[in-house]
Amino acid sequence: MIYVVLFFLAFSLFLYVLLGGADFGAGIVELFSSKENQQITKKTIYRVMGPIWEANHIWIIIVMVILWVAFPVYFNIIMISLHIPLTLILIGITLRGVSFIFRHYDAVIDESQKIYNGLFRFSSVFTPLLLGMTFGGIISGSIIPPEAIHQYGFGEVYIDSWLNSFSFLTGIFFSALCAFLSATLLIGEADEAHEKIYRRKSAIATIVVVLSGSILILYGYVNNYVFIKDFIQNPFSVSLIGASALTLIPLWIHIKKGHKILSRFYAGLQVVMIIAAAMIAHFPYVLITKQGELSLLEGIAPDSVIRVLGISLIVGGLVILPGLFHLLKSFKMIKVLES
Amino acid sequence: MENLDAARLQMAFTLAFHIIFACIGMVMPFFMVVSHYKWLKTRNQIYLTLTKSWQKGVAIFFVTGAVSGTALSFELGLLWPEFMKHAGPIIGMPFSLEGAAFFVEAIALGFYLYGWNKLNERFHWITGIIIGISGVASGILVVSANGWMNAPSGFDYINGEFLNIDPVKAFLNPAWFSQALHMVLAAFTATGFAVGGIHAYQIYKNRNVELHKKAFRIAVTFGAIAALLQPISGDISAKDIAQRQPVKLAAMEAHYNTEKGAPLYIGGIVNEETQEVKYKIAIPKALSFLSFGDFDAEVKGLNDFPKDTHPPVAITHYAFQTMVGLGTLLVIASLIFFISYKRKKWTAKNKYWLLFIIMAPLGFFALEAGWVVTEVGRQPWIIYNIMKTKDAVTPMPGMVYSFYMYVILYTILAVVVTWLMQRQIKVLNKTPIES
Ligand code: HDD
Ligand code: HEM
Ligand code: HEM
Repeated sequence: MIYVVLFFLAFSLFLYVLLGGADFGAGIVELFSSKENQQITKKTIYRVMGPIWEANHIWIIIVMVILWVAFPVYFNIIMISLHIPLTLILIGITLRGVSFIFRHYDAVIDESQKIYNGLFRFSSVFTPLLLGMTFGGIISGSIIPPEAIHQYGFGEVYIDSWLNSFSFLTGIFFSALCAFLSATLLIGEADEAHEKIYRRKSAIATIVVVLSGSILILYGYVNNYVFIKDFIQNPFSVSLIGASALTLIPLWIHIKKGHKILSRFYAGLQVVMIIAAAMIAHFPYVLITKQGELSLLEGIAPDSVIRVLGISLIVGGLVILPGLFHLLKSFKMIKVLES
Repeated sequence: MENLDAARLQMAFTLAFHIIFACIGMVMPFFMVVSHYKWLKTRNQIYLTLTKSWQKGVAIFFVTGAVSGTALSFELGLLWPEFMKHAGPIIGMPFSLEGAAFFVEAIALGFYLYGWNKLNERFHWITGIIIGISGVASGILVVSANGWMNAPSGFDYINGEFLNIDPVKAFLNPAWFSQALHMVLAAFTATGFAVGGIHAYQIYKNRNVELHKKAFRIAVTFGAIAALLQPISGDISAKDIAQRQPVKLAAMEAHYNTEKGAPLYIGGIVNEETQEVKYKIAIPKALSFLSFGDFDAEVKGLNDFPKDTHPPVAITHYAFQTMVGLGTLLVIASLIFFISYKRKKWTAKNKYWLLFIIMAPLGFFALEAGWVVTEVGRQPWIIYNIMKTKDAVTPMPGMVYSFYMYVILYTILAVVVTWLMQRQIKVLNKTPIES
């Protein structure tokens, strides 16, 4: 059953990165658009994201619930030492959620739209940056386990664990991934005149992803980060990254030919491979603390709990996935009918 | 302020905030589908306009409820890491099912909001019902987790360890039913009167009266039925508490000494030092009867329990008095509402509408007060008789700043949402209705 739980954990995480990431990325693309394109981008985002938007960030909640139910020891450490960035993420999610809904549902369109837009764009950059930094913190080896925190000062325990160059680079890398996903998604949705713009944005995002990824690895390597050392020596991780790089070729071909679904598929696949590479590199020792590595499978909840959780997840999945699929499908059909 | 106090205040504040949005998100869909049903049946344009405007309300509240709920699911861990380390696996089941319920709700909402003129009319209407049902289901599930904190079950507590965990038994803990029933009724009462009150105000101001009267009637019918059932459900809760958490009962009633045939106090000022309750009205033997169904039953007083397990008495007592007092007012208002079905004259009077304007916030006041009774009355335990709140709190210092930050953020949000609703109503009043 633990594998069922792990599967759903990975599945929810991937979906959050893909759907939530494309969603954050949309705000980043909007931020880096010229004034007139911003309006188009905003409309397109609403059209594409609107129907599934409400469901998007529930994935992160599922990740949280699985973590606390099945992996209480991990959850405990992360919640204590990464308190500050997690709180900042919450502020980001809150501001983003409300500004998205306000700008589309406010009954009167006036100056206040400027504030909503500003907030939306700011939190769209801020939140994935901190999400990336949090993950960077988990793997950076600067977390201090709870039983040792009294030996250190406030700064070392609660700040240095996430506010360091390594996690910052991870944050930049993750934000670039989001922008890449979103720009690629928008290519298929725009009319011809604007398609070019998103193509360019997608290309720029690709370059930023590759650049920031290389800098991250180089920085980690030079500074002897355990995670990076193991990452580049892990055959699975390296081949996944290689495969992800090779996927750029079919992606570009399909973008050129205007294949909407396939280009999205490849963009998503690439991101999944990158995240999977990072996950596998050190599995099950995902959390690296100052005092050594900690296995995800250590200190898991008792069997009876894992069993019930697994069954709940399977049942939930059977109810939800067809619903979600149907939702996507019916609105795709509607779009086809409309055009 | 101490770290623990700041964390408690933050938890209380964010929950109190979330519950308002959660209740509205839970109950508004029912108003919406009734209005939608009437539109399908009568094809009276007013109902369509009303449905569409309520649907916008549902969308705005859903998102605010969702983001504040997301914050809560992090906060449980951020503020109470020791609690979650042990309780997380045990109460995981309601939370994971809750996740599923939210999902169903979000999917149904997607269908509903974007489905006008696109989906089959009947199917579209049914997706509205699904929003409501899954909202209520999620409410019941979270409350079951809270019930577990009041009535921990489904594990053996041996030498400080939680062994033999049975998540199903923990989920169906002894407190879940009475709490969930009372909570769902409270959500309907509070939202019904709040929404009704807003429309009563519009009628009072003579704006778009035809529409607002229809809206008022739908909302208050739900609220009034729930309000009439509330004392019955509250009595079930009280009898339950008398068995399971006698200290909480004693604190609710500011009852210090064990007595047979104990009197019920109404009002009164509690002095926790001298253990006196001044200026109260005492109804002889009523407490024994209400708690155990027997006028001469023995009710345990606070002094029968060790002092370090006493909850804050004054707060719990005042909160309980507030809830019951407001509950009584709401029952009276509900009776007036139903009588006015027969006596149409009443509704011609401005006083009638004024009454319901005044009633608007009272349901929510009662609801918040009720939660204070439950939660403050559970202190000093986070898991009743198992783990103390002070042992569960995060070791991170400086929680005060986090608390202030949430207060500022949520206050701004609340102001903006109120302002948006006001704009919504203004636009609604200007929309011409062609029939
Ligand atoms: C509209 C709101 C509302 C109204 C009118 C009432 N209540 Fe209530 N009450 C709640 C809203 C509420 C609540 C907020 O929903 C609580 C908090 C936790 C819970 O399960 O319900 C609650 C808790 C609560 C508890 C504690 C339950 C526990 O700790 O497990 C008792 C004993 C009562 N109520 C009793 C009553 C009585 C005798 C009422 C008579 C009129 C009453 N309530 C009206
Ligand atoms: C939404 C309605 C709720 C409100 C208004 C509410 C209110 C409160 C209040 C006032 C406190 C502070 C008590 C004190 O420290 O003196 C508190 C604490 C707490 N509540 Fe609730 N509560 C609600 C529902 C829940 C639910 C459903 C859960 C759990 C699933 C929960 C979990 C907690 C926890 C973990 C604490 C902190 C520990 C403690 O003080 O015991 N609450 N809540
Ligand atoms: C009595 C207490 C509570 C009730 C009745 C309640 C009910 C609800 C409802 C109905 C929603 C859906 C939002 C809407 O439709 O507007 C919601 C959202 C949410 N609640 Fe609560 N809640 C309570 C307390 C809590 C607590 C203590 C937690 C944290 C563990 C929590 C976690 C969530 C989450 C994560 C969401 C967002 C899910 C989404 O994205 O739709 N809730 N809550």
